[in-house]
Amino acid sequence: MIERWALVSGLRGNLETYDLIQRDLKKTRGVTALFVLGDLVGPECNCDALLDRLKNPHRGDLKPDCIYGWWEEQLLAERGFRGERKADGLRLSQGEDAVTALLNMVNPSHLNWLASLQFGFIELDCALIHGSSSDVGDNLTSETSPLILLDRLTRLNVNRLFTARSTKQFHLELTGGGINSQVKDLNGKREQQQEVPKRSVIGIGAGVNYTLYDVGSDKTHFLTAGSQTKTKGMGFA
Amino acid sequence: MNHAIISCLHANLPAVEAVLNDIDRQGIHTITCLGDLVGYGPQPNEVVELIRKRGIATCQGCWDEDIIDGLNACECSYPSQLAERRGHLAHQWTDDQLTGENKSFLASLPTSLRRDRLLFVHGSPNSQHEYLLPDMDAFAALERVETAGADILFCGHTHQPYVRELRDGSIHVRLQNADHDCGQGEELTLPMRKIVNAGSVGEPRHGSTNATYVIHNDATDEVEIKEVAYDVARTCHAIVEAGLPKVFAWRLSHGFEFAEQAEDSSHVCER
Repeated sequence: MIERWALVSGLRGNLETYDLIQRDLKKTRGVTALFVLGDLVGPECNCDALLDRLKNPHRGDLKPDCIYGWWEEQLLAERGFRGERKADGLRLSQGEDAVTALLNMVNPSHLNWLASLQFGFIELDCALIHGSSSDVGDNLTSETSPLILLDRLTRLNVNRLFTARSTKQFHLELTGGGINSQVKDLNGKREQQQEVPKRSVIGIGAGVNYTLYDVGSDKTHFLTAGSQTKTKGMGFA
Repeated sequence: MNHAIISCLHANLPAVEAVLNDIDRQGIHTITCLGDLVGYGPQPNEVVELIRKRGIATCQGCWDEDIIDGLNACECSYPSQLAERRGHLAHQWTDDQLTGENKSFLASLPTSLRRDRLLFVHGSPNSQHEYLLPDMDAFAALERVETAGADILFCGHTHQPYVRELRDGSIHVRLQNADHDCGQGEELTLPMRKIVNAGSVGEPRHGSTNATYVIHNDATDEVEIKEVAYDVARTCHAIVEAGLPKVFAWRLSHGFEFAEQAEDSSHVCER
């Protein structure tokens, strides 16, 4: 049987988008898991209905497995769930009004559930994280130095890292290469050679742009919810 | 011009004096210290005051940070709960001994120092607590140097001196995104970079009791690892006299970590 994961992020309170994705997934064969990689909340609209739906899926919904993202981190920090830290990243980048808007869009009754979400999942040889193994806010794109991408993979010793922070859809494969090093210490010198392992970093998109991943064939499909043309093109009608 | 880099002094005054004398004998005037002035050893105030008196440029080590911030930083590197308890005991003892003025000095230290393309840190550019071991993944090691914008990264923390040259590196990538598959892919050529670990003056763990430090020539980029003998017995005696755990004296007199049978096979960090 085909095992296929759906990877979603950046819903930011938008229940309509989530509903659209769920409807797409119902029509797609073989989807066995739905991972929501953070940014469930945001300052643009009230998030309570979406959070209720994620916590209590409708009959027929693919049950979502959620982790927290950068927006949850800001919210939880501002609400005192991160020790002395506050929503400094949000405050610095978008100002005090954005912090206030975020607080107003999430009912405090959701905070304990949001605080219980994990940083990421390790499934098979894949890491599913909002940012990266370095930080929830790590913004990996296809333009990020491959050296940094390799580092983020190495930190978790995984072959594939699914990331959402950039909101972009991309699949960057590290296909080869190597490095030589010489270590000199008080016992003498020794040479080492190391090859680049075949590994990938996959940006899953955000909002209506989501990703399907075929576990058996290692294929990614970048989709847009409600876009029939694209869906048919990918053979998931 | 030659300059000397010292690290991990750990309140061991005889070792620090011996190393500084060795550097002075060579006519080297520029010295950089990579932190951990205190911890484990019996003379924290004397060592801090000597560094201050000599005006040695110093960055903050993990022990210096912990003394100021009260063990805020993670110490999962302890191999067992026994070792962690000893570490906490040494922390408390050092905290009790250090004068307010010396604590203020430790609090004022920067986490890194930079001279052109040379970067000086205690552990790594990411953290005073990260170990850059000589055999760590070469790409990850290169990433630490390159992301920090340095040609040569000087670090300590491991108590094992080494020089690691990373060269002839490349990474091949192939990109597929929502719009296109770029097919053949591209190759990134990686720059040559160097990591120099100064070892430890006050608590060597490289298999010898000698203090270690390094000399770097900034014209040729050659690095020499130096070993200096000092009066180990004097420091060991002072450790026992001070009431610090005797294991610290054992470790100094052997030059490697004290390996005991851990009482907990699955020790995890308490924080």
